[in-house]
Amino acid sequence: MKKRDTLKLATWALASTLAMGSAWAQQTTLRVFVGPNQRPDLQAKLFEQYNKANPGVKVEVETGGATSELQRQYLSTVLNAKDSAIDLFLIDIVNPAQYASKGWIEPLDKYVGGAAILKNDYLPVYQQANVIGGKLYAMPSQGDAMFMYYRKDLLTKHGVAEPKTWDELAAAAKKITAAEGNANLQGLSIQGAPIEGAVCTFLLPYWGQGKQFNDAAGKLTLDKAAAVKGLKSWLDMMDQGVLKKNVAEVTTPITVNEFKAGQAVFAINWGFAYDRFKDDADSTVKGKVGVMPLPAMAGGKSATCMGGWQWAMNAYGKNKDAAGKLIQFLSSKQASAFIAREGSILPVYQSVYSDAEVNKVVPWFKDALPVVLAAQSRPMVEDYGQVSDIIRTTTSAILARTKTPEAGVDEIASRVGRLMR
Amino acid sequence: MLSKLRDPSEKTLAVMLLAPAFLLLLMIVVYPIGKLIYNSLYAVDKNGAFLGLQNYLDVLQDPLFWNATKNTLLITVITVPGALIAGLALAMLANLPFKRKWPVRLSLLLPWALPLSFAGLIFAWFFHTEYGVVNDVISRLGLQSEPTSWLLKPNWAFAAICLTVIWKTSSFMALILLAGLQMIPKSLYEAAEVDGASRWQQFWQITIPMLMPSIVVALIFRTITALQTFDIPYTMTRGGPGEATETLAMLIHKYTIDYSDISFGSTLAVFMFVISLFVTGFYLKQIGKNAA
Amino acid sequence: MLRWVAAGMVVVNGFFPAVWILFTSLKSEAELVQKPITWWPAKPMLDNYVRAFTDQPLLTYLKNSLLIACGATVLSLVVAAFAAYAIARLNLKRRQLILTCIVASSMFPLVTLLVPIFETMRTLGWLNTYIALILPYVVLNLPVCTLVLVSFFQSIPRDLENAAMIDGCTRMGALWQVVVPLAAPGVFTAGILAFVNSWDEFLLALSLNSSPAVRTLPVGIALYQGEFTFPWPIISAALIVAIVPVAILIALFQERVVGGLTQGGLKG
Repeated sequence: MKKRDTLKLATWALASTLAMGSAWAQQTTLRVFVGPNQRPDLQAKLFEQYNKANPGVKVEVETGGATSELQRQYLSTVLNAKDSAIDLFLIDIVNPAQYASKGWIEPLDKYVGGAAILKNDYLPVYQQANVIGGKLYAMPSQGDAMFMYYRKDLLTKHGVAEPKTWDELAAAAKKITAAEGNANLQGLSIQGAPIEGAVCTFLLPYWGQGKQFNDAAGKLTLDKAAAVKGLKSWLDMMDQGVLKKNVAEVTTPITVNEFKAGQAVFAINWGFAYDRFKDDADSTVKGKVGVMPLPAMAGGKSATCMGGWQWAMNAYGKNKDAAGKLIQFLSSKQASAFIAREGSILPVYQSVYSDAEVNKVVPWFKDALPVVLAAQSRPMVEDYGQVSDIIRTTTSAILARTKTPEAGVDEIASRVGRLMR
Repeated sequence: MLSKLRDPSEKTLAVMLLAPAFLLLLMIVVYPIGKLIYNSLYAVDKNGAFLGLQNYLDVLQDPLFWNATKNTLLITVITVPGALIAGLALAMLANLPFKRKWPVRLSLLLPWALPLSFAGLIFAWFFHTEYGVVNDVISRLGLQSEPTSWLLKPNWAFAAICLTVIWKTSSFMALILLAGLQMIPKSLYEAAEVDGASRWQQFWQITIPMLMPSIVVALIFRTITALQTFDIPYTMTRGGPGEATETLAMLIHKYTIDYSDISFGSTLAVFMFVISLFVTGFYLKQIGKNAA
Repeated sequence: MLRWVAAGMVVVNGFFPAVWILFTSLKSEAELVQKPITWWPAKPMLDNYVRAFTDQPLLTYLKNSLLIACGATVLSLVVAAFAAYAIARLNLKRRQLILTCIVASSMFPLVTLLVPIFETMRTLGWLNTYIALILPYVVLNLPVCTLVLVSFFQSIPRDLENAAMIDGCTRMGALWQVVVPLAAPGVFTAGILAFVNSWDEFLLALSLNSSPAVRTLPVGIALYQGEFTFPWPIISAALIVAIVPVAILIALFQERVVGGLTQGGLKG
């Protein structure tokens, strides 16, 4: 009798020690790197939800790198030193190929599933952007794309329909600015400064002709004549007074501020701008803003640039399994719907755009879906840093009229061609 | 042993005095430089293969390198004398007997208090086509009918950058020269006055020679920093339009951080070091002579 | 008369950007894109200052920058004074080489030394501490401070030290009690140079002290901007907060730097 009791006691003691031990061993801390402009507050709420459901895991947020540039500077140093301190980072949609080629981010196939999961309701563009060499390297979190914003009130006032081609847009802009007679009102505001957005400025009229910049293998397939035509259309708009002459100085914030101050009829900008136009205290265009897909070039199709942020796993991290589970949660439909409702962040799932809860908060997402479906990804190549630099500096120089479009396109073709072979 | 510490021989003293400096240099500079040279000889970003001098040959054949070197040397040649002259003028002004000295002295050093990373942004805003003060003033004075896009024209952008660099660094020069001016005994000027020397003669025969050591020190560092000019052109024009205002330091930053091509970036850094050594070697000899 | 015009120009040159930033910090963002541009704010507002302090822990950054810059300055001066004395006074055979080595260390752009320095600090476990930045800053300041001090030490006649040593002073005693006080303008110059360089530094501070608790001011101010926004008014407010301590410091010490040599030593 006594022996059996002792045995029971011993087993119970052993079992509870093992249980406590494994629980203690399971207390992992995951460190996550998020830029201060990627809504760390919303991500923090998601982490809280995750912590509640998974008591053995604690998530800490590290913010830094407010811009893609600063982030690149910081991560470049830290990852070149093979640092293991951070487990997950939220990276720009253009970065997976570059980071993967350096061995900085871990393929997610064995943690969340292979590339095939991106076919489940995610926006189609991610199959291009996040899959490199057949492996899945990043999971979508926040979507974004370039939209054409316009002054609904002015178009209605002057009886102008939503333009479907760039020529129609230029004509509409000219008609309205002439009729308004306001010296400060510009037709269209785009970004011409040598920032990342200038890569989109180059690609938009090019894609708008139905052309592709590279094939699936990452080889350059630039149609020089089409590229020149696209750039010339910007220059023509400058000559006609639709675009202002110093467009090569315009950065994303300047476009936002100008449109907000009622100084532009049309403006191209990222999705975040909508809330700024709608909610900012000093916005003079509240209730007057419309959103539409980007025009096509005559005979081409509408196309826009995909942006947004993705979750990637540090290849040097020490908590990969736990990190993998966290990524699954953060890129789930519920998470996407949550941040869409709470922060008006463009969803990465198609069905969330028509989710009833989401539409109550952000009705304009219904209009946003066709735009986002037409979004294309910038070239996903390992030397993207260099490719981006070449395209954006050359485009800016062309818009500043220090280079001709022909010379600029030749330069892009030869320099980028060497990198994308 | 203690007696040695109390009054050590010259050799021991020399070692003790130089040790802290060299230990720190070893840890913070020598090791990284060693790594740098290693990085330039091996393909550290790809497969670690030995490259020998391949990177160095590639640099010499890269038109961006020559463009950046040309821009860097041009900036150096313009802003070093420019800052020296401006700094000397500012220092001499600050040295004048005013009843309240602090406004002049503060304005001398205020450009310096502005963080370098923002000086460029602020001046870029000043030179902005539509929202910049420069165009505003010029237009109000009726000197132009249409605003000029200063930063979009290669030569004007270059000039704007040089102006900003001179504005920021003349403080540094002024500070060093001011301290030097303070150490010139007034008696020398009084004696010259008695001998009938004019202000101009006093300047060239007393001020400049007595100031020479300070001038050389100021020049050495202004030159080294000029060769490494990065923040101001980076924030003002990002090297644009095109690559018209791209300096060597910007090119290194681009390759190392944007392209993550550490191997090539390190090679460029070695070139920058060699250029710096060459340009300042002459000054350093002067200091060595004075030490004798 | 000419003197006042010249003085006026100097004051405008130095104050103009700072005053402009001050005005911008009182404007709203919308006002910045008005044409023609406004100089004095149409409706001065202090909101930007409030935002500057609430969007980020600006006071923490200020504290960090001050402590790190002061620490780096003091250490730089001590290390540089030792080295400068050795070079200027002692009969070293390779004096030229030593000085060249020290100065040459500044000839490499910091961006290329960044990763190895990061690795070193990480190995020592010093990331996100004050010392992670103070030590590199001392090394960054070493060339300038050493060279400035060497040239000032050299201009002080040896007789004074020899006199002190005959009176029973040791070499080290002579350094701190005779040479340094006489080279005061040089010492304060080197000090201000070291302080402002440490205050300004961005790249190392971004990479080594990324945690907000130890973040420095230049890095913090850069974080007000976003991918899509550049809030000039808030950044201007933060810049004013960054400039004011340095300006006060300069105003306080400019007398020392420029102060005449009334005590002892150099007569005629």
